[in-house]
Amino acid sequence: PTDARNAAQARARSAPAPVTDVARLCVCDLLVAQCDTNCCCDPDCSPEDFSLFTTCSVPVVTGDSHLCSQKAAVYSLDVEANPPERIFKLIDQVNPSIFCIHATNYKQALYLKSPEMPTPENFDELLSKFGSSGFSAEPESWNMDTGVPNPPDANETYRYEYGVPIQTEDAFLRLPSPVVSSWCSDANPAGFLVNQATKCIRSVSVEKCDSIPALNMLFYTNSSILAFVFQVNVSVQSIVVQSLNGMRTLLKGDDVLKLPVILDELCLNVVLGVSYHITYTDTGEITEAAAAFVLGAITKEELSVQQSFQISFTQVNTKPVPLSGNPGYVVGLPVRAGFRPKEYPFPVEFVTDKHSQLTILHSTPSQDCLAAQGARAPVLFGYNMISGCKLRITVGMQCQPVSQTLLDVLKGQSFPEYVASFGNSQAQDVLDWVPITHLHISEQRIPTTLQSSCQIPVSLGIEVNWTKYGSLANPQARIVNVTATLTTTTLRQLPSGRERIIPVTSSVVFTDISAPAEPGYKAWPTINIKLPFDFFYPFV
Amino acid sequence: RILNNISQLSSLPLQILFYVNGIYYIFYFLATLAMIIYKSQVFSYPDDFLAPDLAVLFLMAVLEVPRLYLGCKGNLREEEAPLGLSLGVTVGSMVLAVYLLAWQTYVLWADVVLSALLLSAYGLESGLKVMAIAAFVS
Repeated sequence: PTDARNAAQARARSAPAPVTDVARLCVCDLLVAQCDTNCCCDPDCSPEDFSLFTTCSVPVVTGDSHLCSQKAAVYSLDVEANPPERIFKLIDQVNPSIFCIHATNYKQALYLKSPEMPTPENFDELLSKFGSSGFSAEPESWNMDTGVPNPPDANETYRYEYGVPIQTEDAFLRLPSPVVSSWCSDANPAGFLVNQATKCIRSVSVEKCDSIPALNMLFYTNSSILAFVFQVNVSVQSIVVQSLNGMRTLLKGDDVLKLPVILDELCLNVVLGVSYHITYTDTGEITEAAAAFVLGAITKEELSVQQSFQISFTQVNTKPVPLSGNPGYVVGLPVRAGFRPKEYPFPVEFVTDKHSQLTILHSTPSQDCLAAQGARAPVLFGYNMISGCKLRITVGMQCQPVSQTLLDVLKGQSFPEYVASFGNSQAQDVLDWVPITHLHISEQRIPTTLQSSCQIPVSLGIEVNWTKYGSLANPQARIVNVTATLTTTTLRQLPSGRERIIPVTSSVVFTDISAPAEPGYKAWPTINIKLPFDFFYPFV
Repeated sequence: RILNNISQLSSLPLQILFYVNGIYYIFYFLATLAMIIYKSQVFSYPDDFLAPDLAVLFLMAVLEVPRLYLGCKGNLREEEAPLGLSLGVTVGSMVLAVYLLAWQTYVLWADVVLSALLLSAYGLESGLKVMAIAAFVS
């Protein structure tokens, strides 16, 4: 009985027997139990199917053509018959060469070798013979089991290189991120100098919210980062508390660790976002690590919460200025702008920080200009944008305050004066900055002779002209001039009881004004022949 | 004794056949060796199949020399012992030729033709040798 079972097992494990009869071989028969089109050898096809074929994709099926005489199955379509029918002939094909194989006593000569079936006995031998780096017997990757602390190896952490996972006391600095699906996976290590921002969803419940470690601030700050010979603790840089309706407030005072607490039907101090800031030296050592938290609250009904994580790296003693391109602007990065401080005689530097960005009004769902809370969107290079709001004019509205409010809404709190012409323009290079030209168009509905009537701005259009600069093969975008056009109109007083709605728009348009490129050609090579000065000696 | 008399017992056709066989065998050996080299390049010819074929061919070449020498000597001296020995070696060579004709790893059509010719030559030779031995003995 064991023999029979072994035999059956061996039979089940071996590959199916190869088909060598030319009459039964059909390469184009791909669909099981269905007729393949133009496949004359398909046994699933009926004579009606054959009458619809145009040609035979496989006209001849033969064995090895080296044999002197072999059977060949010839399929053809007889198109003259009505309906067309398939002709199948089994003929003997003769190879006329004198070096044709008359007979062979080596059975595997004309067929492919059947591969050995792996069994528990020969698996190791097959693996060493055929397995390459793709399959290895022992996993050599690091063990991400955070329950087992990995003893730090001082020799390995002496210097970090780009992309190397940042090591901490236990395993690696975790940056939870979505893997495959949107659910958070805690096994994603943060790579050195790899700026990352991830968002993922974590399943939560109010009852167990203080036992889920990933909702706790301690989870992100308790293990210290290994750097050279000492360890760098992750300090808490700031804590922002987000209320249930989305309002965020920065917590002042000592940055005390706030642990999740269950209060009524809410769970407070749940980590909704972590932003790591790592400071490094130019030799690859980490000197400081800080984490800024966003804590929030979850209600009983919420079964999942979205967490966002970010990590950024700064070199010591530098203030990072995000470049929008190097040197030309990259589409999608914000346009850099700034102010020129009023100094006499000549200013040395422009002031450019995040408060002097070129921004455009951001449309709100309420669409009310006067209730706009100052939401602004940065102007990104290459992205034409248009936004707006609606102004409701009622009786008794004074023109002057409305005009001032609308100007604030359109231009923002600090509208910059200069725009950087290149994505990497430094603040010290005064000539690299382009002034913003302001135009004023006033729509006159009623032609009045008095120009002093109050006008309210209804549209701000920023037109950015840019050109391609540099080599033909790698053109860089360079901003040439920026024009901000403000269109104003008169505010007509309405009869009582009526109100009017005026749309107010702001837009940004990027126009490519580059001249067509002219390729430059190399000069023709010149033949430089000079005779030596005493060539005609002794005559000269 | 007068030459070309019935008292001459040496067989002339056998002698002619020995010469022809010798020349033909050189051609046969070179052609078969070249074809084995060709087969090993074009087809899959593992080493443990190539070795017996080459061994048979070289063995046949080694046997051919004493075979022809003994045959010539026996025929010219009208001695039946060397001729009988040559006949025995011929039977061995015939077996090897049959191997090259039918039991080689790859038998090409040219192999078949050459081996068939060689076998027919051997067969004719054997017949003539038997007749010569009979003439010498009696």
